[in-house]
Amino acid sequence: MLATMGLITGTAAGGAALAAAPGAEALAGAGGVAGVSVSAHGAPLAVLAIALLPLLGAALCALTAPLRLGGKLPAWITVGGLAAAFGLTVLMHSGVSGLAAGEALVAHGYEWIAFQSGAGPGDRFVAPFGFYLDSLTSLWMLFVTGLGCLIALYASEYMEHDVGLGYARFFVAFNLFVFSMACLVMADNLLLLFLGWEGVGLCSYLLIGYFYKKPEAVAAAKKAFIVNRVGDFGLLLGILTIFGVFGTVEYAALFPKLAAGRDALGEPLAAWVGWVVPLLLVCGAFGKSAQLFFYVWLPDAMEGPTPVSALIHAATMVTAGVYLIARMFPAFTLDEQQWVLGLVAASGAVTALWSATIAMAQHDIKRIMGYSTISQLGYMFAGLGVLTTTGAAFHVFTHAFFKATLFLCCGAVMHGFAGQLDLRRLSGVWWVKGWGIIGAAMLVGCLNLAGFPFTAGFFSKDTILAQAFVTPGAAWVGWVLLLTAGLTAYYTFRVFFRVFVGPVEYHPGQDDHGHQGDDGHAHSSQHGHAGGHGHASGQFHPHAPRWAINSVVGALAVLSIAAAATYFVYPQEHGWVGKMVGHSTAAFAAPGEHHSGAHADPHSDAHSTDLRSNGAAHAAALGTFLGFDPHAVMYYVSALVGAVGIGVAYLLHGAGRRTAATAGADGLLRNPLVALVHRGAHRKWYVDEVYHALITLPLWVLGHVLHLVDRLLVDGLVNAVGAAPKLTGGRLRVQQSGVLNGYAVAMAGGIALVVLLVVFMTN
Amino acid sequence: MAQALAAAALGQGAFPEPVSGVTLYHYLFVSAALFALGVIGFVTRRNLIIMFLCTELMFQAAGLALIAFSRYHLHHTGSAFVIFVLTVAAAEAAMALALVVLLFRRRQTLDGTQWRQLRG
Amino acid sequence: MLLWLILIPLIGAGLVPVVAKPYVRTVAYAATAGPLALALYILGSYSFAAGAPEALTRVARWAPDLGLTLRLSMDGVSAALVALTAFLGPLCVLGSKTAVTERVRTFYGWFLVLQAAMTGVFLARDVVLFYVFFEFTLVPMFILIALFGSANRRAASVKFFLYTFTGSVLSLAGLLSLAWYHAAVLPPGSTPNAGTWSLALSDLALAGRAMPANLQGWVFLALMAGFAVKVPLFPLHTWLPLAHTEAPTVGSVVLAGVLLKLGTYAIYTLVIPLVPDAAVAFAPAVGVLSVLGILAAGLMCWVQTDVKRLVAYSSVAHLGFCMLGMFAFNRSGLQGSLLYMINHGLSTPALFFCIGMIYERYHTRSMDELGGLGSRMPAWSSFMVFFTMASVGLPGLNGFVGEFLTVKGAFEAGALPGHDGPRGGMTGGVLGPWFAAWAVAGMIVAAVYLLYMLGRVVWGTYHAPSEHGGPHAAPHSASHGQAHGHGHGHGPDEPAGGAHTGLPTDLSGREVRVLVPLAALCLLLGVYPAPLLNMFADSVDTTASLMQGALRRAEQVRPEAPEAGAAAQPQSAGAGDGAAGSGAEVDAGEGEGVEGRR
Repeated sequence: MLATMGLITGTAAGGAALAAAPGAEALAGAGGVAGVSVSAHGAPLAVLAIALLPLLGAALCALTAPLRLGGKLPAWITVGGLAAAFGLTVLMHSGVSGLAAGEALVAHGYEWIAFQSGAGPGDRFVAPFGFYLDSLTSLWMLFVTGLGCLIALYASEYMEHDVGLGYARFFVAFNLFVFSMACLVMADNLLLLFLGWEGVGLCSYLLIGYFYKKPEAVAAAKKAFIVNRVGDFGLLLGILTIFGVFGTVEYAALFPKLAAGRDALGEPLAAWVGWVVPLLLVCGAFGKSAQLFFYVWLPDAMEGPTPVSALIHAATMVTAGVYLIARMFPAFTLDEQQWVLGLVAASGAVTALWSATIAMAQHDIKRIMGYSTISQLGYMFAGLGVLTTTGAAFHVFTHAFFKATLFLCCGAVMHGFAGQLDLRRLSGVWWVKGWGIIGAAMLVGCLNLAGFPFTAGFFSKDTILAQAFVTPGAAWVGWVLLLTAGLTAYYTFRVFFRVFVGPVEYHPGQDDHGHQGDDGHAHSSQHGHAGGHGHASGQFHPHAPRWAINSVVGALAVLSIAAAATYFVYPQEHGWVGKMVGHSTAAFAAPGEHHSGAHADPHSDAHSTDLRSNGAAHAAALGTFLGFDPHAVMYYVSALVGAVGIGVAYLLHGAGRRTAATAGADGLLRNPLVALVHRGAHRKWYVDEVYHALITLPLWVLGHVLHLVDRLLVDGLVNAVGAAPKLTGGRLRVQQSGVLNGYAVAMAGGIALVVLLVVFMTN
Repeated sequence: MAQALAAAALGQGAFPEPVSGVTLYHYLFVSAALFALGVIGFVTRRNLIIMFLCTELMFQAAGLALIAFSRYHLHHTGSAFVIFVLTVAAAEAAMALALVVLLFRRRQTLDGTQWRQLRG
Repeated sequence: MLLWLILIPLIGAGLVPVVAKPYVRTVAYAATAGPLALALYILGSYSFAAGAPEALTRVARWAPDLGLTLRLSMDGVSAALVALTAFLGPLCVLGSKTAVTERVRTFYGWFLVLQAAMTGVFLARDVVLFYVFFEFTLVPMFILIALFGSANRRAASVKFFLYTFTGSVLSLAGLLSLAWYHAAVLPPGSTPNAGTWSLALSDLALAGRAMPANLQGWVFLALMAGFAVKVPLFPLHTWLPLAHTEAPTVGSVVLAGVLLKLGTYAIYTLVIPLVPDAAVAFAPAVGVLSVLGILAAGLMCWVQTDVKRLVAYSSVAHLGFCMLGMFAFNRSGLQGSLLYMINHGLSTPALFFCIGMIYERYHTRSMDELGGLGSRMPAWSSFMVFFTMASVGLPGLNGFVGEFLTVKGAFEAGALPGHDGPRGGMTGGVLGPWFAAWAVAGMIVAAVYLLYMLGRVVWGTYHAPSEHGGPHAAPHSASHGQAHGHGHGHGPDEPAGGAHTGLPTDLSGREVRVLVPLAALCLLLGVYPAPLLNMFADSVDTTASLMQGALRRAEQVRPEAPEAGAAAQPQSAGAGDGAAGSGAEVDAGEGEGVEGRR
């Protein structure tokens, strides 16, 4: 292992010392526009281990099932493997961070799919199993493996009810997920990215459907996979189009062409490429990241075990869409108008607001977190759309920590209170003995999500908000996001005030989530609860989280505070994340970003000379926030909005609450108008019903109709053809009298006829 | 009918000396008459044995024609063929009569119309 | 050596009726393992990178008067398909151990004959020999379905036989008309053997390419009549769900695994090389039918309640991809299509094995009666999920590679706006991005119906029919197993409960041994398809260059489409004599064939 470490850092440093490859420079120069120059150097194969360790873990976990290796062995395998992967990632990061902007390392494994795809000698389709390492990759991989490791540790305790086959199944899928995510993020070509993309979809399917005896879980899993597939439709077509135009799917060859705006033959791109390709890619990103029209699967995905919700459906997988857009950002800026980015911004803003309204009216705290994830993803997309890839990536980064914290706290509550998630049936959890760490961590998470000043969430959200006001034409996005920020603060603290503080009161859940699976009764015996977690609330004792859950939640809470610090480390490059993004293909200095008073510096200006001409043109007409520089005032504005949200939540749900079920907000619902809106939001604005009526049902009916047509018309024709000889034969059979003499007559007559014919014909 | 055909094919008086006066036509006429009798018998009668005898009659008619032609052409293929036919006919007669006996045992009658299982 | 591939199963089939009953299965193992060993030896020791190795070509006189020869050869494509056939053989014998307990001799005898016939199809290089083997697969399959199938086996077997037979008689007519053209119409000397009666594939290919376009069209239709039924191409598929549903497990496995590939293989080796110009002319129609098949069959899958029928319909959809890729005529499409044949030949048989295993236990295939097996049979469920994912086309498993390449081929076989002609990744052709888009939509549908199946069979709460078989009779209750035994009711049904099968609740070791090789290959070909791609490369290269020539000819003959013509003008003008040449070509007529301009 030590040798490997040295290898990685050493070679990376060597790679960094090299200048950008001359070929790439030449191409960029020929393009006439100075994009981000891209070059790639070889990287040690040891980085492949970052992906292969989880894969090995999956195989080992799978082996424990037939070998009947009981206990928590799968969990320890997973934690160990992911810790090693995280270690390697840190080393990789230290290697990659030495690279100059636009440089990348390529670790070439083997040629996964490769063949001669055309007549010419160079017409080869190659999709290697290889990794493309730059700072964007490294940023994502750090939190994927890091959080993966922590959450696996959490899950070792959370999933203990299912020790046995279910435990192994969980960790197999968990490992497989990290493997797929690693492929997605580190892939050096779009096809391997697609492998990871579908792979995380599969793991998501398997893990959402983990409690497979619950019909809702099965349906949710199916929905997630299928909705994602609809998105993948666009992604796959996008990949095909990219290959069709550029003749390659490998980043190392693709990015120079994108930067130069040249196709495979070196000719300028057709105009449609600039919007068709991004649009197709966005379709995939929307599916995976649960944006507008595609988001319906994510709330239902909360049927899965909570560690899964935290890792997959909050921190990592759902940000894959953001990653895709950030990775392929050069394709999004091909077009002068960049209207696809406008679409991304608009849909991000609308999604953020839309799901925030739904979150306000839910009672299931995990679903609230699910909708809040969609809403925050909307922020990230809006960030991408208003050209601040840095803001989007920063929000991804901070969100990963604080949302994981929030989910894991909810999970701890669910675990301890026998699946109770209804905020009307829980209250004052923080004050229950043994729940101190969870309560405190929840507060940290909520403050982050609400954008409370000086939390990580505050800074990342501000970056996006401010940029939305700066980017011309996107001010409405900013206003929508600002409104959403207030709503977010409200629904976040609604949960906090109702569940974690206030009078202590709790009712156990109906849903004994731990009793699924193969040794269902392990739970009651293990904890010595007579009768398990039945409905007898009188005897119910919540079991407080033990060391694994507490330590992980505590660590995440600390990390989500610490994430704020990264904002200050490289001030000239908008923080650590900004530096990471700025050095990758996602680099795109948003218009006016260097105007930011606090961080204005010569380097940033120099950076902006690399801007595309359109970016520079926009810089002349930057937007403002009510006449102020948005970057300067946004801190105060959003802090104010957040505080208002928290205050309202306190008034409605915290102040003077006596029981778990009632709160000050109940009075508001007596107003018929509020009640109507509340019911609409509570029923998720009937989107599922509309989808069912507009898409599922017609297709299902069409299936039946086609089946009928197939059986009656198509097969009917076939049968008719088959029946024709039968009918003819039926008519002709009467000729056969069965009398010997009759046959003789016919035969003699026949012969006579033939002879006559011959005679007449020959004469 | 057969005569007409033969006439068309043969032309005039090519028959060898020793049997002068009796031409090919005579033989063919006898053959045709025999054949016609066989056909008529086969079609009109119901008795299986009679019907079988009628088929034998037709066989012999064909044999006669073959021999006549064989002699006419001074070529022995026809004669040889007839010997084959006779042999086969003998074997076949044995089998056919055995079958008729079996059929008779089933229905106690020789009426051919009793066997109409193949009616469509 | 090639002959032994066919002879070993045949010898086995000859031995099966005479050996003592306990040894029947041993003989069957030996007779299927022999070809497998041989196939592996061939794969290991020969390289197919440069076409069929000389050592793997065998020509013997058969009936010289009729122009018939015993011409066997093996290139990369047939090697892979022969290997697939040989690979499935022992698995079928192993997998049918408990399912077939009565009339074992009949079953294995005919099964071995089937193996031999299928292998023969892939090796034949003489069209009549090909046709003989092709038709001869029908007889054993007919018997396997008719004697060992389930309730409705009689109708299924008759329909299977008559439908495919009717089609292939027309194919024979097409082949013979080519032979006639080669012998009687082609002026001697225009091709090496013109004017002589030959049935060799290589001779007929030259004859077909020299045919006038309209005649080629008729020959194409005649050939497709037989082969498209076998594939089956969309509206000609109705025999397949019936046959699959009623066939015994091994029958379905072989049917899906190899028999359907006979159709696509025949189209690849006979139709496309023999009448390339007609193939180009009809490609849009075939493309539309393929896409329709992908979508319509997919939607039909979704409303099935019989799980075996669902998988059968999914075969129709999958083979649609195969046909789409093939008629893209470019390297991606052809590679994908060939790969798809192999991949479908692994994942779908595996699904049929899985379904067969639960059918042996519960004697039902209805998803209404049976479900939630995940809790009862975890090992089985793991395999089921795995193979379903392979079938869905999950990247990393085998299905994806073929699916992606076929779709890629279809996408590239067209033009992008502003990118006329072959350019970048585009190869030009008669399909295009829209075909690809609809096919990709079909991948969504595939996810819908396969996950629907998983959701009902694997997930959910466990429910199964009562232990004693209900209306479904035991599939091979041989006491009255004759086809007509059906007429007079079932009489006293033997209890068909799982208890009597002697099978464990979850998979037995034997069943795991059946599925593990399939799973391993699915995974291997998913992450490392290179060996197959390399094996196909030479054959694909030949076909693709032939078809690109045909496409160019078609482009020149076709009255120019307004915008395409305008776009093409500047390019061909640059070539100077190219423009003049194209005019001359049109006048010279369609029959000129392989002139190789450019």
